[in-house]
Amino acid sequence: MQPESRINRIIHHLQREWQIYVMLLPTIIWFIVFLYKPMYGLQIAFKDYSIFRGVAKSPWIGLEHFEYLFSNDQFIRAVWNTIKISALNLLFGFPAPIILALMFNEVLHATYKKTAQTIVYLPHFISSVIIAGIVITAFSPSVGIVNTVLEWFGIDSIYFLTKPEWFRPIFVGTGIWQEAGFGSIVFLAAIAGVSPSLYESAVVDGANRWQMMWKITIPSILPTIIIMLIIRIGNIMEVSFELIILLYQPATYETADVVNTFVYRQGLQNGQYDFAAAAGLFNALVAFVLVMVANTLSRRYSRTSLW
Amino acid sequence: MSGVQLSQLVKRYGDIEVVKAIDLEVQPHEFVVLVGPSGCGKSTTLRMIAGLEEISAGSVTINDRVVNRVAPKDRDVAMVFQNYALYPHLNVADNIAFGLRIRKTPKDEVDRLVAEVADILGLTDYLKRRPADLSGGQRQRVAMGRAIVRHPMVFLFDEPLSNLDAKLRSQMRAEIKRLHKRLDVTSIYVTHDQVEAMTLADRIVVMNDGLIEQVGTPMDLFLNPANTFVAGFIGSPPMNQFDALVSGSPEAPIAEIGDQRMALPSLPELSERIGSKVTVGIRPEHAQVLTPSEHLVHVQLEIVETLGSEALLHTTLENNPFIIKTETEGYYSKLEEVSAFSVDPAQVKVFDIETGRVFGQSGA
Ligand SMILES: Nc1ncnc2c1ncn2[C@@H]1O[C@H](COP(=O)(O)OP(=O)(O)OP(=O)(O)O)[C@@H](O)[C@H]1O
Ligand SMILES: [Mg+2]
Repeated sequence: MQPESRINRIIHHLQREWQIYVMLLPTIIWFIVFLYKPMYGLQIAFKDYSIFRGVAKSPWIGLEHFEYLFSNDQFIRAVWNTIKISALNLLFGFPAPIILALMFNEVLHATYKKTAQTIVYLPHFISSVIIAGIVITAFSPSVGIVNTVLEWFGIDSIYFLTKPEWFRPIFVGTGIWQEAGFGSIVFLAAIAGVSPSLYESAVVDGANRWQMMWKITIPSILPTIIIMLIIRIGNIMEVSFELIILLYQPATYETADVVNTFVYRQGLQNGQYDFAAAAGLFNALVAFVLVMVANTLSRRYSRTSLW
Repeated sequence: MSGVQLSQLVKRYGDIEVVKAIDLEVQPHEFVVLVGPSGCGKSTTLRMIAGLEEISAGSVTINDRVVNRVAPKDRDVAMVFQNYALYPHLNVADNIAFGLRIRKTPKDEVDRLVAEVADILGLTDYLKRRPADLSGGQRQRVAMGRAIVRHPMVFLFDEPLSNLDAKLRSQMRAEIKRLHKRLDVTSIYVTHDQVEAMTLADRIVVMNDGLIEQVGTPMDLFLNPANTFVAGFIGSPPMNQFDALVSGSPEAPIAEIGDQRMALPSLPELSERIGSKVTVGIRPEHAQVLTPSEHLVHVQLEIVETLGSEALLHTTLENNPFIIKTETEGYYSKLEEVSAFSVDPAQVKVFDIETGRVFGQSGA
């Protein structure tokens, strides 16, 4: 009786709301084709895979790839590099769009605001290849603007992109330059949703703009900030892979090689697909745990969560 | 003292004037209600007084000081907003204390003032709750608490009760009235609900299309409306109005509506109007159906709407809708048979058919 009526209810619901599910369909198909179907191939992380035998016929070898992975210095280094770059990204890259949004919110002159916004959104729409080209040129020891400026102050030119200690700051800085403007849109939208009467009431109470920002704007957009932070933490293992490939070179592997670039080199360049799949799976597992933890903590302490 | 004067106050948005050179004097301690239809410029006027809206021309004077160029915080006014404007992330106590903290009031003083206000408004048990966990009426009280805690010289209210249901609204209305008696602070209150205006105001300002139509005490506006607009706005239901031809003599003018005849008050202006049309106004309360009279005006009864002790008789008078308000006690069964009413000529209002201005009243 009970399960049947439930099925009836679902059928009834589908009959009534089918349009909504039709609209959902392209996204579901996209997920299946590009995310779920490839998961079938994940099993090679536990197999001695060879392209000639194919995924199904390759023999199982248990955790052998993982054992090898954790005894591989390069992999351990890549994990640490990922964590360090992500931590820096979180520390500097996460607040940047929020600060930018708060600053835009204080700009009263409409034309000036629009122009400034367009300028900071722009890098987002430029291909990473071009971004990397600009960065490489800017930091070049011979013609780069950075070294030119350093020379004015009598500092010898530095070949930044070959120095491991400079890779992280340059990479994180480039990421901010590329994405902070576009990322600020989410926060600007959240700010736009704050009722104007909250500010008017504060104006009558005597609050200045600084106080309004701290006491009204920031608390009001805090739920958005937390959601974005959860997403960000979930993506901590996903360092922007193209940009690293474009900017790093063997001289900077020491600080620049992350799990994704390691997987790329092992899998695609050296043809060790099974080993690379194991590394990728490990990466995904860590990311999964991080999202779960971040979401649970947030739900418990701030009543805001993704699910 | 802490009165408010508006002189030749204008608000323009581009080329459009939404407040058209209004003059108003609010006495210290007075409770003035701005009332008028939607879009007539009430909120705009209030917001210019608060300093939230730039003044296009004219001046606002608070406490004998022209405040056109004074920042809102220095005008010593407090405003209560229609949507409460409570901070969702702060609890009730912190919401009430917000303005005090902004002004760097010492902590123990803040605590004392918040406790005092919470006591006045009956919020003591809710101080630790967030606004989301309060009822509409409680939120409204918190909004009021935020205003009164600062002891401002002038309170400004912009439709503070319009988000509440009817019952709560009348309850809060009484509360605001009680609060004003107790605190005795000059108050300017905007509403488009004429019942709210009638019950709360010391004086009512009726606005229409950016202009002030009439200023007066509630009874003044009720008994002596300056024009057809005020007559049609004040009172519930508002005054019945219909066009009629003036006949008879200057001493005993008569209104002719179709076949019906009705005695009019003998007003000096009317003597020149004999033979031309005017607008006649009769309050629903002034039409008598229960006392026998020889000067009856016949109507067709359409519906009887009973409100308990009173009833509204929806009738037509020569195709003009005409509402009669009468008592029901002891007469209820007879109301279905009403076919005529009588009216004391002294209570009949006559308006110029062109300008809508009332006859027989100087000033206003
Ligand atoms: N920023 C603006 N730009 C142009 N016109 C405006 C602006 N703000 C208000 N108005 C116009 O000014 C007029 C008066 O608005 P106001 O808000 O004072 O009306 P109100 O009397 O308070 O009405 P309500 O009872 O609906 O609140 C309206 O016609 C409105 O369209
Ligand atoms: Mg309004």
